Amino acid sequence: MTDTTPLDAAPAGKPTKSILVEDERTRARNRAEARFRAYGIAAIAIAATFLVILLATIVVRGVPAFTQTYMTLDVTLEANALDPNGTGDRDEIAKVTTFGYQPLIGQALVSLLEEQRIETPLPPPALILMLSQSAPAVLRDAVLDDPSLIGQTVTFELLTSSRADGYFKGRVTRESLARDRNLGPPHLDILDQLAESGHVERRFNLDFITGSDASESRPESAGIGVSMIGSFFMMLVVLFLSLPIGVAASIYLEEFAPQNRFTDFIEVNISNLAAVPSIVFGILGLAIFIQVMHLPQSAPLVGGLVLTLMTLPTIIISTRASLKSVPPSIREAALGVGASKMQTVFHHVLPLAMPGILTGTIIGLAQALGETAPLLLIGMVGFIASNYPAGVAEGFLDPNSAMPAQIYEWAKRADPAYYERAWGGIIVLLVFLMSMNLLAILLRRRFERRW
Amino acid sequence: MDDLRLIERAVDMNETKISANGVQVYYGDNHAIKDVNVEIADKTVTAFIGPSGCGKSTFLRCLNRMNDTISVARVEGDIRIDGEDIYDKRVDPVQLRAKVGMVFQKPNPFPKSIYDNVAYGPKIHGLARNKAELDEIVERALRRAALWNEAKDRLQEPGTGLSGGQQQRLCIARAVATEPEVLLMDEPCSALDPIATAQVEELIDELRQSYSVVIVTHSMQQAARVSQMTAFFHLGNLVEYDETGTIFTNPSDPRTESYISGRIG
Ligand SMILES: Nc1ncnc2c1ncn2[C@@H]1O[C@H](COP(=O)(O)OP(=O)(O)OP(=O)(O)O)[C@@H](O)[C@H]1O
Ligand SMILES: [Mg+2]
Repeated sequence: MTDTTPLDAAPAGKPTKSILVEDERTRARNRAEARFRAYGIAAIAIAATFLVILLATIVVRGVPAFTQTYMTLDVTLEANALDPNGTGDRDEIAKVTTFGYQPLIGQALVSLLEEQRIETPLPPPALILMLSQSAPAVLRDAVLDDPSLIGQTVTFELLTSSRADGYFKGRVTRESLARDRNLGPPHLDILDQLAESGHVERRFNLDFITGSDASESRPESAGIGVSMIGSFFMMLVVLFLSLPIGVAASIYLEEFAPQNRFTDFIEVNISNLAAVPSIVFGILGLAIFIQVMHLPQSAPLVGGLVLTLMTLPTIIISTRASLKSVPPSIREAALGVGASKMQTVFHHVLPLAMPGILTGTIIGLAQALGETAPLLLIGMVGFIASNYPAGVAEGFLDPNSAMPAQIYEWAKRADPAYYERAWGGIIVLLVFLMSMNLLAILLRRRFERRW
Repeated sequence: MDDLRLIERAVDMNETKISANGVQVYYGDNHAIKDVNVEIADKTVTAFIGPSGCGKSTFLRCLNRMNDTISVARVEGDIRIDGEDIYDKRVDPVQLRAKVGMVFQKPNPFPKSIYDNVAYGPKIHGLARNKAELDEIVERALRRAALWNEAKDRLQEPGTGLSGGQQQRLCIARAVATEPEVLLMDEPCSALDPIATAQVEELIDELRQSYSVVIVTHSMQQAARVSQMTAFFHLGNLVEYDETGTIFTNPSDPRTESYISGRIG
């Protein structure tokens, strides 16, 4: 280097610069850096604020759905109402519909009020409105379960109606009840007194998590459990189809496929597929799986297939990215000691790419878990799944819903009690998503060896 | 060049192990190797020297078909090992590479333990029948690569946690563990101190008893010390190929002369 440029050649005799004073350029650089850091911190603060607001809203609105108001009621299961002939025969007893149980509940309420010395202008049929419409069914189920209960006085924990429940949760006020045909201020007076005496109590409601959806008129007994099962079976389909197909496709494309027009074409199209709106996959599923292949409608199997189509591009793209990030020198090293292509991939490349593949897969699954739009088209929304599937095959094939579809369904219904349940359902869904992310982190830790 | 201890080694007229005829390599449009003809003898150390970028690594990688892995690379010509064309359609490169081992220019240990690095080749080729045999192979390979003393207490530690020079020796150990018939070494001592270099050179000398070794080096002294034959590459051409003594004392091409005396490079 004989030709030093005049710029960095210090003229002879010029005093050398002290490093104790910042020069102008350094100052400007430091200012720019400080500015950039401030932007970064501001961005994070804004994001964190939104997140906190979001989570707080969800929790505040959703948590009430996990509690429900119950009334403890001693009901005398009178024999001449339920089994007039005294046969004790189950079929005979089953002839009495839930309608036949209503007077018993009215009776029980009247005696409870007498015992508590509560005065009310309401007749017994109006008193029943304090309780959920599911109450007679609860009694009937208990009796059919154990006919020997007939003639005894049994203590039941009965759900109160959604209005009564809303009153204790602050959703329903006396003013808002003025125009209500079902529940009025006299009911609330009774409820207040019963709450004081401990006969009416608000407590944790496991049925919300494990139960099934209910009809429009009894939001208090609706739960997300059955659609959770639907989601679970769909996720099984997605996991067992998209992971092997996605990983095999990526490995082939990344490690084995020749570089030519055809593979380029496939690559471009996979990227395009990842950007296709999910509802397109929904209509595709409707056309192919249901109309052509005649798979059952509303079935988690079909939902899972549609979501698999939707998740595959995500999994392929992230798997390929993590395969690409494995340094080529590792492949050379393996090939150099005489490993075959497949040994190279399975012994060396795949283990290194594993954390990335798992992360991609779990993100894909999480996306699929929260997806609603394609389910709309294959009939998994709006369907009221009232029973658990009887077995594994039924789990895949029987009509069901999925958690996000259930939430959408609840949010659509007019009763504000359902709105509350929609928020509650979102909490359940988020818990699922967070546990999946946690799993992703744990798996990554497990596979990510830092060497 | 007075420190070159040129030993009057008589090159035994060994039979030819590798013969290359009219080899051309293109990287896309870049003509990296131009019509190279060379005969590499068995039980001999052959040194490739030449300025950076002249194609030494490229030619070396032709000999075990490592260039197959580079999609833009195209190899023409005829390369035979033991008289068999290695670019023949029937040749499985995997089998070839088990026979022709390679130490790469950049150390590339597997992100696994030191033990697993060395044991991997013997394992996939079924060279050991049990754990004890494998242990023995690993120890022997590490000893030959002059790494045993440093590594024996940390065999289960990651190979990537070693220093650069140690990694280079680990890669040498990995290559010799599979007992190849030809060993291609691309600058195996570039990151080694003089002591380790001496040990590796000893290893090369020992390997020569049974194998054919091809070594790329930028150290003229090293070429002079370990090799019997030397090939000088320049701009993709094989300029001169002769006995090492002749190349260093009496080169016939002026380019060789100026390179070894430090005028081009
Ligand atoms: N993977 C590659 N793709 C494209 N061109 C390459 C590739 N590898 C090498 N080349 C080109 O081939 C020529 C020879 O490279 P090569 O690596 O064989 O040189 P070398 O003699 O080993 O140099 P050095 O002593 O620096 O290692 C160079 O011009 C280089 O740019
Ligand atoms: Mg090189």
